[in-house]
Amino acid sequence: MAGKKMQSASRKRFINNTIVHVILAVLAVIWVFPIVWVILTSFRAEKGSYVSTFLPQSYTLDNYIRLFTDTTILNFPQMFMNTLFIAICSCILATFYVLAVSYCLSRLRFKLRKPYMNMAMILGLFPGFMSMIAVYFILKALGMTEGNLIKLALILVYSGGAGLSFQIAKGFFDTIPMAVDEAAILDGCTRWQIFTKITLPLSKPIVVYTVLTSFMSPWLDFIFAKVICRANSDQYTIAIGLWRMLEKEYIDSWYTCFAAGAVLISIPIAALFLYMQRYYVDGMSGAVKG
Amino acid sequence: MRRRAVSLLLAALMMSGLAVTGLTGCGSSEGGESVRLMVWSPSEDQSKDSGEWLQTCCEAFADAHPEWDITFVYGVMDEASAGEQVAQDPDASADVFMYANNSLEPMRNADAIVRFGGKYREQIESTNSQEVLDTLIMDDNLYGIPFTTNTWFMYYDKSVFSEEDIKSLDAMLEKGVVSFPFVNSWYLPAFYLGNGCTLFGEDGKDEEAGVDFGGENAVEVTNYLIDLEQNPNFRIDDLGSGLAGLRDGSVNALFSGSWDANAVKEALGDNIGVAALPTYTLNGEEKQMYAYAGTKAIGVNTHSDYMVQAVELAIWLGNAESQRLHYELRQVVPCNTELLEEEDIMSDELVTAQNNTFSYTSIIQPLVNQMNNCWTPVENMGKGIRNGSVTHDNAKEQTEQMNEAMNSDGI
Repeated sequence: MAGKKMQSASRKRFINNTIVHVILAVLAVIWVFPIVWVILTSFRAEKGSYVSTFLPQSYTLDNYIRLFTDTTILNFPQMFMNTLFIAICSCILATFYVLAVSYCLSRLRFKLRKPYMNMAMILGLFPGFMSMIAVYFILKALGMTEGNLIKLALILVYSGGAGLSFQIAKGFFDTIPMAVDEAAILDGCTRWQIFTKITLPLSKPIVVYTVLTSFMSPWLDFIFAKVICRANSDQYTIAIGLWRMLEKEYIDSWYTCFAAGAVLISIPIAALFLYMQRYYVDGMSGAVKG
Repeated sequence: MRRRAVSLLLAALMMSGLAVTGLTGCGSSEGGESVRLMVWSPSEDQSKDSGEWLQTCCEAFADAHPEWDITFVYGVMDEASAGEQVAQDPDASADVFMYANNSLEPMRNADAIVRFGGKYREQIESTNSQEVLDTLIMDDNLYGIPFTTNTWFMYYDKSVFSEEDIKSLDAMLEKGVVSFPFVNSWYLPAFYLGNGCTLFGEDGKDEEAGVDFGGENAVEVTNYLIDLEQNPNFRIDDLGSGLAGLRDGSVNALFSGSWDANAVKEALGDNIGVAALPTYTLNGEEKQMYAYAGTKAIGVNTHSDYMVQAVELAIWLGNAESQRLHYELRQVVPCNTELLEEEDIMSDELVTAQNNTFSYTSIIQPLVNQMNNCWTPVENMGKGIRNGSVTHDNAKEQTEQMNEAMNSDGI
């Protein structure tokens, strides 16, 4: 009797697990499908934007080679370097802004604290590109819409608003007990020392998160780059370059290169994440006892 | 403190930026007036691989005018987006730019584009056909120097279709597979226009007249399109499927423009045929298809600091020699009437097909603002026929709905 019951229970579990896993597998395939397709297309030897088969008939590396050698019409290496430079600079600036603002709002008490948080909340409700044209004209008035200054302009645009998106980091800082700060003050730490020597080392996961998000937004942004770069093709970012590859004049000969470019832009993000993910595990472990 | 330091640093950076941009404006002044001209063109016109057409022409212009010491600044802007960009901020746009004529209206509204008059206008009028000029004339003002026509026509496989076949779409469908961009509203109206439907009056400039894509004649076309879509030898060309079909041999004819010429040549080799649009048979009658046509032209910015030089340069870039060079380097079909009579250009099939389409089987794409409402309804009609929601039973109703949407201001 008992044996039979056991068997049916484990059988039931087995059936349940099977159903769950089949559903998960199907979902996983659906989710990964477009990415696999882009990667396959980037190695496709047949030209053109449309093919009648899912798997390429033959494979080649030429699409990647062409991206880096055929630079007279669309200079991909230059766009790549432009974007990398802009993304790294604005990543550093934006990360600093976000963490500094979050720390202040979490640890300091001042009159404008509440009004500032309310204002940030309301401003955050509006889409950023609403102010696009205004931002363009301000930058133009400052003479920053021509030549290499465009890079500076873009860095300012991407990092300037960072101080408004403090919510997540502030929430994390709030979870670090005030007692830690007080102990540090008793030992003679300044606010800056608390921030750099205590708060930051304790909040590695959120630092990693901030770095990743503030790297990705300039890396992937299209709309601001398009409005600010206009006719300065030597300042184009990869998002503009990839978009241009899909215009009707280029799409037929550049489509597979577009896929190759799409694969390539994911590499810096993936590398940054792989490098930083080990800090995800650390964080609070061992910081506060009891 | 730190914050203030950062903002000070930024301010310093900005100031130095201003100083740098201010300085680069001054060139060396060896002879005559120093002039700074910014010129916009598509990137192919400036690339080494295709012969640096723009640089070559601009340098020739500078050589021809030793009285000016000209510094050229080149920017990349394709003709399709130039109009919008110039209208958006004329102050920071090129002095001389190339644009597609369908973006004339925003530039006119922003008062950003120069009208050509006097001797310049005479010169332009003497070397271009009236049809071409009409695309650039609004309220009797001429807004640019045309350098090429812009429309679509037919590519076909000569081993499948004879010279006689290509005159009629239905004859072609009996012999081979034809692909048409059925769900693209730049192409689909060709059938409606063939059966007496009109857009904004006779010349396409009368906004009050509205669109006439309704009525019995339009319903007939919708019914024809439903049958056409079901023809086993007909393929809808969407997302490049026509060109892919041409490559693997499953398609024998497609409709596109000069931008696909090289790809088609590669796919068909010596069998490539290019022709103006065919007719189609509606209730036993031959109806001519009509493409939308426009031109690409060279315009001058009203905000230019060096107006005389800018206008002279624009005329130079649009003259016969520049057009010939453009044709030789990039196969840009010229429209200068003198040039079109030269033998090697006359014998080029692509030139003939494009210009025949422009002259005989096209209407000038209306430039009025209302035209913006005409794209989506037609596209939806094509899609409706493709997915089967438009049938013979509701064709009348659906056509009326399309007409209504094209005439309305709503989104």
